[in-house]
Amino acid sequence: MSPETVTITVNGSRRTATAGGHLSLLRWLREQAGVTDPKYGCGEGVCGACAVLVDGLPVASCIVLAAQVDGCEVTTAAGLRRPDGSPGPLQRAFHRSHAVQCGFCTPGMLVCATALLAEGRPLDRQEIREALHGNICRCTGYGPIVTAIEAAQHELAAGAEGGAEPS
Amino acid sequence: MYTRAFRYERADDLPAACAALRRHGEGARVLAGGQSLLPMINVGLAAPEVLVDISRVAEAREITASDGYLSIGALVTHRELIASEVARAAQPLLGAAAAHIGSARIRNRGTLGGSLAHSDPAAELPVVMTALGASYELTDGRAEREVRAEEFAITVFTTELQPDELLVAARVPVLGPGWGWSFREVSRRRGDFALASAAALVRTAGGILVEARLALGGVADRAVRLAAVEAALTGATRDEIAARVGPIEGISPVTDTGASAEYRRHLARVLAVQALEEACARSEGTVSGERGP
Repeated sequence: MSPETVTITVNGSRRTATAGGHLSLLRWLREQAGVTDPKYGCGEGVCGACAVLVDGLPVASCIVLAAQVDGCEVTTAAGLRRPDGSPGPLQRAFHRSHAVQCGFCTPGMLVCATALLAEGRPLDRQEIREALHGNICRCTGYGPIVTAIEAAQHELAAGAEGGAEPS
Repeated sequence: MYTRAFRYERADDLPAACAALRRHGEGARVLAGGQSLLPMINVGLAAPEVLVDISRVAEAREITASDGYLSIGALVTHRELIASEVARAAQPLLGAAAAHIGSARIRNRGTLGGSLAHSDPAAELPVVMTALGASYELTDGRAEREVRAEEFAITVFTTELQPDELLVAARVPVLGPGWGWSFREVSRRRGDFALASAAALVRTAGGILVEARLALGGVADRAVRLAAVEAALTGATRDEIAARVGPIEGISPVTDTGASAEYRRHLARVLAVQALEEACARSEGTVSGERGP
């Protein structure tokens, strides 16, 4: 079977578009589906700029073919918003901590950190750094990014215990 | 990002994939997780005409332990191998080595069979399989055959696999009583391919080393087992290991942008000793925070 078109649920909406066998998921998202928050960085799966979630797990969309994830659910950074369209807890923490400079790595950082926090085990700063060793940022020096993820972790934990969510 | 166009064909099962490989001939390549092949295509190191995708077939995904052996399907991802309680209980060396592969993103897609069939001499799993004396089940969709890990890898990116053959599963012995294990590597950055790596298994009795198995990666054109070093260790205590491991023979490290051949040769011995000592300590139950084998 050689699918000419693939159907992928992107951030909750079903999208059908031609794949051409050789189209990476990243190109399919950016050029066929108009979803441009995942970025092209290295093309080798090393830098993290193209990270998206496929059925909840982070992948490097530059080294996955769109045809390989036909029928799957893909979440990009833009899909991390809350249903009302406002930023999610991690996105707000990135904003508050000024964890963004040029912004190129940010969509991948958000996606990978989301998967990390979803694992649910408490992480200290060192563990956060280690878990995100595959996401390269050339601006921030990583400090504010780690701070943001730490803050989001506390917020999510407080939320899970029924605490009031800080605005 | 803009690769030369190629065709994509999704196989429904492994025999169909083998038939597709026969049909397409030389220009076809097997696509599993794609975490080595697709980067190579992206940077222009590979230019296949057709990719035969086996990543969605239902077969070759099980991890089972029985009769003293652990069998792992070729399409088991690194993430699944690390998370498998069955694999951890039967042969913890595998998951420990797989944790060094790439980043979480790579481990989510990359497969055991893909890593072994790709045959990168610096990759983690071929080293562990060589140390364990693994055997691989291969199929061309009509007949199966078994090949030992040490005979499977021929040289860099070259294996025993025929153009229409697939690796189906790897079989390794379960970690026996009294055995300890260790995997060590040095890489430029976490997640990079190893400059050099070592996998060791050691059995001790009464503080004396009875049996050892040692394989190194990144220092030859494939993973190498070091029988001479293993033999020289019999009867040693843990403190005597370093003195018994002389200069490592039978390796042929190369100089590249990552490291010099001389430095790789140095690492080979350092990592071999570290891995043997740690395996020895595990065998004696003196590595803290772990259950004995």
